[in-house]
Amino acid sequence: MSDKKYWQSFGELNNSEAYQQAAKDEFKEQLPFEGTESIMDSKTPRRDFLKYLGFSTAAAALAASCETPVRKAVPFANKPEDVVPGIANYYATTYVQDGEAVSILAKVRDGRPIKIEGNDLSAITKGGTTARVQASVLDLYNTARLRFPTIDGKEVTFEAFDKAVGEAIGTSPVVVLTSSIVSPSTKEVINQFVAKHPGSKHVVYDAVSYSGILQANAATYGKQVIPSYRFDKAKIIVSLGADFLGTWISPAEFTKQYAQGKKINEKHPEMSKHIQFESVASITGSNADEKILHKPSDSGNIAASLLAALSGGAVTITDAAVKKGIEKTAKTLNAHKGEALVVSGSNDVNVQIVVNAINEAIGANGKTIDWSVPYVSYQGVDADFAKLVDEMNAGSVSNLFIYSANPAYTWVDTNKFISGLKKVKTVVSFSGINDETTQLSKYVIPSHHYLESWGDAEIKAGYFSFIQPTINPLFKTRQWQDNLLKWSGATTDYAAFLKTYWIAKLGGEAGWNKTLQDGVVNAAAAETLGTASFNSSAVAGATTAVAAKGKGKYELALYQKISVGATNGASNPWLQELPDPVTKATWDNYLIISPKLAKELLKIDLNDNGQADAYEVNPPKKVVKVTVGGKSITLPALIIPGTHPETVGIALGYGRTDKLGKAVVESGKDAFIFTSLKNNTVSWFADDVQLELTGDLYKVALTQTHGGYDTKQGKRTEVMKELTLDEFKENPKETREDREKELAPFGGLEKFEKEGTIYPYFDKPGIKWGMSIDLNTCTGCSACVVACHAENNVPVVGKPEVLRFHDMHWLRIDRYYSGDMENPNVVFQPMLCQHCDNAPCENVCPVAATNHSSEGLNQMTYNRCIGTRYCANNCPYKVRRFNWADYTGADSFPDNQRDVLNDVVMNMNDDLTRMVLNPDVTVRSRGVIEKCSFCVQRLQEGKLKAKKESRPLQEGDVKSACQQACPTGAIVFGNVNDKHSAISITREENKLRTFYSLEQLHVLPNVNYLVKVRHIDEEHEGAKKEEKEAEKEHA
Amino acid sequence: MHLKYESQLREPLVYGTKTYHDVTEDIVRPIEAKPSKLWYIGFYIAVALLLFGVYALYRDVTYGIGQWNLNKTIGWGWDITNFVWWVGIGHAGTLISAILLLFRQGWRTGVNRAAEAMTIFAVMCAGQFPIWHMGRVWMAFFVLPYANTRGPLWVNFNSPLLWDVFAISTYFTVSLLFWYSGLLPDLATVRDRAKTKLRKHLYGIASFGWTGSTKHWQRHESLSLVLAGLSTPLVLSVHTIVSFDFATSVIPGWHTTIFPPYFVAGAVFSGFAMVQSLMIIVRKVFGMEDYVTIGHIEAMNKVIVTTGSIVGVAYLTELFMGWYSQSKYEGYTFWYSRANLFSPYGWSYWGMMACNVISPQIFWFKKMRRNLFVTFFMSVIVNIGMWFERFVIIVTSLYRDYLPSSWATYYSPTIWEIGFYLGTFGLFFTCFFLFAKYFPVIAIAEIKYVLKTSGENFKETVGNIETKSVEEFAHEYAH
Repeated sequence: MSDKKYWQSFGELNNSEAYQQAAKDEFKEQLPFEGTESIMDSKTPRRDFLKYLGFSTAAAALAASCETPVRKAVPFANKPEDVVPGIANYYATTYVQDGEAVSILAKVRDGRPIKIEGNDLSAITKGGTTARVQASVLDLYNTARLRFPTIDGKEVTFEAFDKAVGEAIGTSPVVVLTSSIVSPSTKEVINQFVAKHPGSKHVVYDAVSYSGILQANAATYGKQVIPSYRFDKAKIIVSLGADFLGTWISPAEFTKQYAQGKKINEKHPEMSKHIQFESVASITGSNADEKILHKPSDSGNIAASLLAALSGGAVTITDAAVKKGIEKTAKTLNAHKGEALVVSGSNDVNVQIVVNAINEAIGANGKTIDWSVPYVSYQGVDADFAKLVDEMNAGSVSNLFIYSANPAYTWVDTNKFISGLKKVKTVVSFSGINDETTQLSKYVIPSHHYLESWGDAEIKAGYFSFIQPTINPLFKTRQWQDNLLKWSGATTDYAAFLKTYWIAKLGGEAGWNKTLQDGVVNAAAAETLGTASFNSSAVAGATTAVAAKGKGKYELALYQKISVGATNGASNPWLQELPDPVTKATWDNYLIISPKLAKELLKIDLNDNGQADAYEVNPPKKVVKVTVGGKSITLPALIIPGTHPETVGIALGYGRTDKLGKAVVESGKDAFIFTSLKNNTVSWFADDVQLELTGDLYKVALTQTHGGYDTKQGKRTEVMKELTLDEFKENPKETREDREKELAPFGGLEKFEKEGTIYPYFDKPGIKWGMSIDLNTCTGCSACVVACHAENNVPVVGKPEVLRFHDMHWLRIDRYYSGDMENPNVVFQPMLCQHCDNAPCENVCPVAATNHSSEGLNQMTYNRCIGTRYCANNCPYKVRRFNWADYTGADSFPDNQRDVLNDVVMNMNDDLTRMVLNPDVTVRSRGVIEKCSFCVQRLQEGKLKAKKESRPLQEGDVKSACQQACPTGAIVFGNVNDKHSAISITREENKLRTFYSLEQLHVLPNVNYLVKVRHIDEEHEGAKKEEKEAEKEHA
Repeated sequence: MHLKYESQLREPLVYGTKTYHDVTEDIVRPIEAKPSKLWYIGFYIAVALLLFGVYALYRDVTYGIGQWNLNKTIGWGWDITNFVWWVGIGHAGTLISAILLLFRQGWRTGVNRAAEAMTIFAVMCAGQFPIWHMGRVWMAFFVLPYANTRGPLWVNFNSPLLWDVFAISTYFTVSLLFWYSGLLPDLATVRDRAKTKLRKHLYGIASFGWTGSTKHWQRHESLSLVLAGLSTPLVLSVHTIVSFDFATSVIPGWHTTIFPPYFVAGAVFSGFAMVQSLMIIVRKVFGMEDYVTIGHIEAMNKVIVTTGSIVGVAYLTELFMGWYSQSKYEGYTFWYSRANLFSPYGWSYWGMMACNVISPQIFWFKKMRRNLFVTFFMSVIVNIGMWFERFVIIVTSLYRDYLPSSWATYYSPTIWEIGFYLGTFGLFFTCFFLFAKYFPVIAIAEIKYVLKTSGENFKETVGNIETKSVEEFAHEYAH
């Protein structure tokens, strides 16, 4: 080897200084640092890095943050005596609309009524409410309310108005046109006014009248009243098209009564049987144990046949199914004389006479029909109004005062009414909203909303309910009774008049105060029901008269939705957005058609999976032109099983004037045009209907698209369980056995909670909230849904957003079909957050915004939520709702949703409408998830109350809003750990029917359901059993 | 010269008679030359897409997620589909550079630089989705576990979404370091060749004072190995964790134990397809056919057909389990919502099957593997298929889950959802165009490293030696 020197660079060769330095530096031990100072002596040492970072970030953030606008709250200069900020006052008052009266409590926070609750003291509704009652508080804050008196559309003062009207009417007679007046003092006021203006009269006109019943009763019982129906006393309920659970006469009361017969005592399982004859699927029909579909024109024939069949006569109806149904019904009725009830929704006098005869034949009079306490609520007779319209056209009416009636929209022949109205010299409207008739009135002096009013109501003879103001009038409005008093020369106002009127009856100021506080005066309950003597002379004629057959292939049935109703519901966004329990549609009316007709007319076969899917997943529905007697409207068709194949249905109450508020804009079509006068009463059906596909599509905003819970891969019995009464009697443990079987792989029913998981088990001491929902007594009435809206500030999103499946309901009513597609069994399942103890939503939230409280609540922390929506995805019940846009006006970017979201959403964010918000509940901003909280604000209030009184929480301290609104008591809520609480007792007493939805997932829900039991006939039962056996063999 | 002997049967990894200088010249040429018209057109299109995406997000923030067509039942749609898709694409780079480095696969050198860059850009794109899909993106920092004044309120360590935060950020950091440390010698090369002061200055900063000293190389090698070691588990973990977003849920179609391997295979599958798409263009545009050879492309096609088949087996396993589990919910999701062509989303499932399982089988044929046109076409098809896969998993599981009452209406994206996706394409290609212009798209140093053993001319030389008899060889080398 040579000792040659190898070099890599000239530097190395020459061993220059620079090279030596570089070689030295290459393996430097310490990092080179500027200057001579060591790292710790530098101006910004490493260890201070975080300090500097923190300071500069904070400084930048401070400099960049913008000022939030300040909205000042002005405190009271003089605090009103009863107003304690943060504490709600409850005032007993009465909801009155078109003759329907319900005793309620108005919850008032800081001077604003924000929530309606039922009045438990009422003997009639017993604390029950309906969706419409619940929603009525929002009408108070409708931005489209009339705000001042006008003459020819120009604002005037009350004095000027009084003067002008006084001059206009002089001493000439006046016709006072109202809907049914339930207030005895108002009747007195009207009488006084009529007496002061000789020749005047009071005409009652109800948009949806019960003329048929009233006149039939006059003819057969000599009393033009509606008796009390006692569904609670009936073991057999036969309804001939009466939607008594939804819209007929007194739904809140009837629902409560009906539920009593549907409650099951597990030890002695018995329940009433409900047979419904109907044409178009209704909420009542959906609850029926048996349902027979028929054409609406046959309703008289069916009544007559039933009457004949009761006495063994022949049934003349040709339709085999209907014939069989009638014969069976007659048999059942005959077997239960004295404990059966037949009601009819027909407005035909003759039909109602026949129904009266049926009720006589089955001994209902005095057993299930109480003549001693008739309704005072509905008095309108269509013929009276028809006569008035004729008089108006004849020019014999010079002055017309209109209150709470809107014939320009609702009357059979609106053109005739309008032309008559033009001939009336002075038209004064007292309407609080600018409805179709008010628009045609020269003088408009808006009356108060009922929550601003004084008043009384006689719901049934001897049963009184009082109205007291809960807020100062928001606008320059005057209660209409005040006008009448003033114009009849009285010096007192109506409030004083009312007080005097009642002090005289109740004997003293104290009695009056007490009555006002209670809100109701109930008649003494009688032991036995009143009877009336029946005069059968009219029956024969009526039976012949009803035999007429309908013309044409298709017929049309007009119905009311439980939400919007026939008159003023359309202007209420809560009601508009409330999914109809039967159709699950919002914001529109539509043509209801049966699956069979859909196949013929729309060429959509729901038995074909592909076509059914296409129909379900796409909101645009085919538009059909409906023509009756030369009048036609076009409506999208919804396929609703449980509808007669040759009948179509359209809801009333839509297609309103835009002046009623943003909610009515482009919402549905007016179906009142299809009404007609038949036999002097308004008929709600039409025959000889032409249906024609227009080729257009129209989007219908549905909140539920699929109805069945049976799939090719298996029936989803973990979701929903149903039984028939006989099945339940035969094997009461069937549900438990089913659950046992489902959970067998995970330790079985008893050990499931502990063994169904690899995670440790936790004790749950203290309070544990739970809810039980009885599917048997839930009628799907949806009062709870609106109550939840009001209580929890659930936003309204408008039709375009519902179309995009962005609806925000915390509580929804799921509707499932089973059985025959044309005439299925329907079951409603209220679905809300199940507050799972092993909640799948909780562990997936990256920021722990949703977590479990020590009381078993699955709670949502809006401030923490960043909106990943992971929790919503992982919720097997899909009850979590995301604020896709700024529905509440709570966004940091003000007004950025204008022109993007529907006007109605903006309207709900108006300062006036926002007065309805519950201050106890956070208004959620855009981008966060929200869901049912079990009304945590109420729980907190109840706990605080108990704490203040130094006692443990008791039953009754706490009620969730849905529980409170439920007219049937289907929802029971409370502390599960308290053995004496209603929820514990309910679960204990209904062990055999208790199930948890999707229990096998081991999410451990805190909401249980009680199995729906149907009182289906043995024959069906036999067929079903065979089916079951076949299934078993197959398995 | 490293101690590696390569069989003559192996194809050369670098074609042509290249010297070290030639390699440098070839690869640095695009950086030093003015960009072509084509580059400008491409770049402007990319920037335009990016701007559209930015606008879509601006609206997203001011208006809300409501501008997307997601709904109460389908809480995730295009957003998370695109997230998983981009993350999947981001797998190839690290796989090529880390795992293939550890396995001493010489062929990685031709494609690793671009693949790594692609990874980083893809992960950047992927990261956008979980951030901007939040309802309140301004509160996004809540997902960071740091000492705070809110309690302190900590993040939920149980949430797979939080695991994502860690997984993705770690993966991004390590990939970026890996990529950049690999770039240093090449950036120094560019710096040394720089003719303007600015260039010299900028590349000088970028190359961190690399001098090419032995110590630098020694540290560089160690660092590469350490980072490769770190990245290797990450390649598997990232997509495993992404799959946990679904696998740990209770939703039928998501709640599946097969997801981690199935997702990783799918990620590699789509990643390689994306590398193919890009490299076929780059080698053509920059004339680098000698470095990214047909052999490279064939090797990657082999990976594609393998992983594609793994994914196919996973699909079939899912279907089998949908039946075998006898769960009606699983059964419905797999057999009705997916496998039934005539169900509302049946088309997406069969689109996925056709793109991911059936069509890649063409690569069993060598001729096809070596066909540029087929490869390019297939690489696009595979990425479409993999997008469908994520869409199928997310949307068809959600839209009809447990309660039939909640079954959703048809979900199709709005222009703003598509805009966001296009925006990430804009981001990706803007970055890629800049990268291709300012950085060496092929690792110069690493090509030089394999040039001696696997370059065509060297192979010839060595091949000559190998054909010699011992005597000849001894004779020749005695002198």
